[in-house]
Amino acid sequence: MQLIDLTGRAQDRWAHVGDEDPIPAEGPVIVPAARLFEVAEGRETGIHVGNDTDPEDLVPLFDRLQLVSVAFPSFADGRGFSIGRKLRALGFDGTLRASGPVIADQFAYLIACGFDEVCIPDALAERQPPEQWEAARRLISAGYQRGLGAGRSILDARTGR
Amino acid sequence: MYRYDEFDHRFVQERVAEFRSQVTRRLDGSLNENEFKPLRLMNGLYLQLHAYMLRVAIPYGTLDSARMRMLAHIAEKWDRGYGHFTTRQNIQFNWPKLSDVPDILDALASVEMHAIQTSGNCIRNTTSDPYAGVAADEVEDPRITAELIRQWSSLHPEFTFLGRKFKIAVTGSAEDRTALKVHDIGIQIVRNTAGETGYRVLVGGGLGRTPMIAKELRAFLPREDLLPYLEAALRVYNLHGRRDNKYKARIKILVHEIGIEEYARQVEAEFAALDRDAIAAPVEEVARIAAYFAPPKLAARPAESTAFERARQVDPGFAAWASQNTFPHRVPGYVAATISLKPIGGAPGDATAEQMRAMADLAEKYSRDELRVTHEQNVVLPHVALDDLHSVYRGLAGVGLDAPNKGLVTDIVACPGLDYCALATARSIPVAQNIARRFGSTARQKEIGPLSIKISGCINACGHHHVGHIGILGLDKAGVESYQITLGGDATETAALGDRTGPGFGYDEVADVIEKLVDRYIELREVPQETFLQTYRRVGMEPFKEAIYATH
Amino acid sequence: MAKAFAPIVITANDLVEGDSVFLGPEGWTRDIRMARVARTAEEATALDASGAQGETQNLVVGPYRVEVSLETGAPVPVLRREQIRASGVPTIPVGPAAIEAAREAA
Repeated sequence: MQLIDLTGRAQDRWAHVGDEDPIPAEGPVIVPAARLFEVAEGRETGIHVGNDTDPEDLVPLFDRLQLVSVAFPSFADGRGFSIGRKLRALGFDGTLRASGPVIADQFAYLIACGFDEVCIPDALAERQPPEQWEAARRLISAGYQRGLGAGRSILDARTGR
Repeated sequence: MYRYDEFDHRFVQERVAEFRSQVTRRLDGSLNENEFKPLRLMNGLYLQLHAYMLRVAIPYGTLDSARMRMLAHIAEKWDRGYGHFTTRQNIQFNWPKLSDVPDILDALASVEMHAIQTSGNCIRNTTSDPYAGVAADEVEDPRITAELIRQWSSLHPEFTFLGRKFKIAVTGSAEDRTALKVHDIGIQIVRNTAGETGYRVLVGGGLGRTPMIAKELRAFLPREDLLPYLEAALRVYNLHGRRDNKYKARIKILVHEIGIEEYARQVEAEFAALDRDAIAAPVEEVARIAAYFAPPKLAARPAESTAFERARQVDPGFAAWASQNTFPHRVPGYVAATISLKPIGGAPGDATAEQMRAMADLAEKYSRDELRVTHEQNVVLPHVALDDLHSVYRGLAGVGLDAPNKGLVTDIVACPGLDYCALATARSIPVAQNIARRFGSTARQKEIGPLSIKISGCINACGHHHVGHIGILGLDKAGVESYQITLGGDATETAALGDRTGPGFGYDEVADVIEKLVDRYIELREVPQETFLQTYRRVGMEPFKEAIYATH
Repeated sequence: MAKAFAPIVITANDLVEGDSVFLGPEGWTRDIRMARVARTAEEATALDASGAQGETQNLVVGPYRVEVSLETGAPVPVLRREQIRASGVPTIPVGPAAIEAAREAA
């Protein structure tokens, strides 16, 4: 997997722990939500959630989480966009990661919905290097929608807000 | 009519650049077909049976002459000299090359048009009443709301990868000319008892393989809440709509499965949690849009026109056309005139570049430079003075667009069917042509009265067959085209889905069967004013079934 | 006895132009009469592989098999859909030609 954020290709300092993997003794870890209890409090912790997760269920965990990774099983399955936006609306202010085969052309939408970074399969990253992500993100300079995390809305620009 | 400002221009130009980049990356392999397909669809580009097909958005069906002329230009320069107007007020070109599409989009952008979200699993072109600003029963011009939705829905970051397509229609009248009840969301502008203008919101309508009539989600929504409320409704759908089965992924299935009460509860909960002020359009912005749709200043004229009366007497063709193809205008001395794109034997909804230019010229000269596309695949000149109507008619006759058949048996809606479409299971256009030839006589059509025939070439129902008074669905039965007939469908405010008569008919039998149904209706009707639909509702299926299945 | 293998050709759409194309002896052709015909399951599998290659090379989109009859020598699709597709045009006059035809009829 390759990590891409607003600066381009980024180093992933988080250990990804699956359902069966042992949890490393130290360092930042991303664990499945169900295994959060196995991670000592106070450690840098992230959870990985499916895109059928109800964001409201995560609210009590916000204090413990520095990262939430939302699964995108396919780039065409857009549930994660709503989950990201809802997590931000509910007050999550840690790192929001989209994990799965999302594509460069979705980068701007992900950022607008509150995501900070994407973690994509190697083969996809090979076809779509970070420069493509950066270029795709900048293609549309402003959108019409209001109330999104990033950028200024055309409606606001028109009315001088 | 709405005009782009600097922001709209930049947005659409950037969108073209984005698509140009996507095409480049497709051709160099950065994007594979699996990834490119949803991106091209979101820009209206399909791969059909013979070629690519580009569907261009005509927001709420409104055009001016410059835009219509550009469509003609595109047809000639990059296509084969014609286009096809669709049931969602768009136009599609059947033969573009992928490598030309970015240039076509540039040409469209130069006249403030685009192909954004005319396909794909996103919010589609918002449709509206072709008589907006004309109809006397209108609470408010629905295009103000439709334009607001067009902007809000364009590349919405949260709702661009939905489970399935999402269609919104807006009407300002109680008499529905938008097929509101077969849309994912239908918005009717209403006035409440306090005299405030707001919205009645319907949800969960749709055709396709599981047709459903929309249900009421909100009886009255204050107008300032429109966009936040739509976000709430879309978010519940995006999160909870089915993703396991493409055929169960429309919002109608979600609403059906959890029930309208539960869906409404979830939407209201989501809506209550939203920061409405942060999402809603500023009132200044709504006012800015509304100014573009101020009624045109039509010079006062007498309600009766002596020029019109004289022309009617000397030109019987004109008299027939004028009585059938006009709609009353709220300003005395004017009418809205329907240009039928259903000449006998033609392909429903098709127009050549020459015809598009003729329509543009007439609009410029006689209709305040405005044209509308209807969901019945016709074009309307909305503001024609009675004094000018004969000139309009002669202009249309010169290019073969003078069919006096609006709303009659030959005003057939048909999808492209197996002649063009990769999904189709049977042909539609030649079936429509055979039926139209059978009923070609104007007098006979007039005697039959209002009758809507709608034909789809597959179960996806692009031809809206479920809501035709007579619906025809073309299927494939072991390699042979077979046509199922439905009766009693209705796309208006009294919406109903047609009932199947029984086993299907062969390609060569369809015109005969339709004629038998029509003959039976003529026998059954109590007075000549009783329409086919009224007769069907009164007598039911049996006598019609007998007419087409009994062996005599 | 196993059912006889029905002959097939491989079709797809040209990536750039969109036209229906058929896998021929030397690449993709717009003329189905020039298409390579597989008469056995093994030959068909080999053709599938060549078709798939056309897609990975970004030449064509969506290759698939079309069953054909060889009664007249050259391959002719069995299904109406594929007959219409192979013809490259609708079954009726369209566009300006249709208007011309209607004028002549009138």
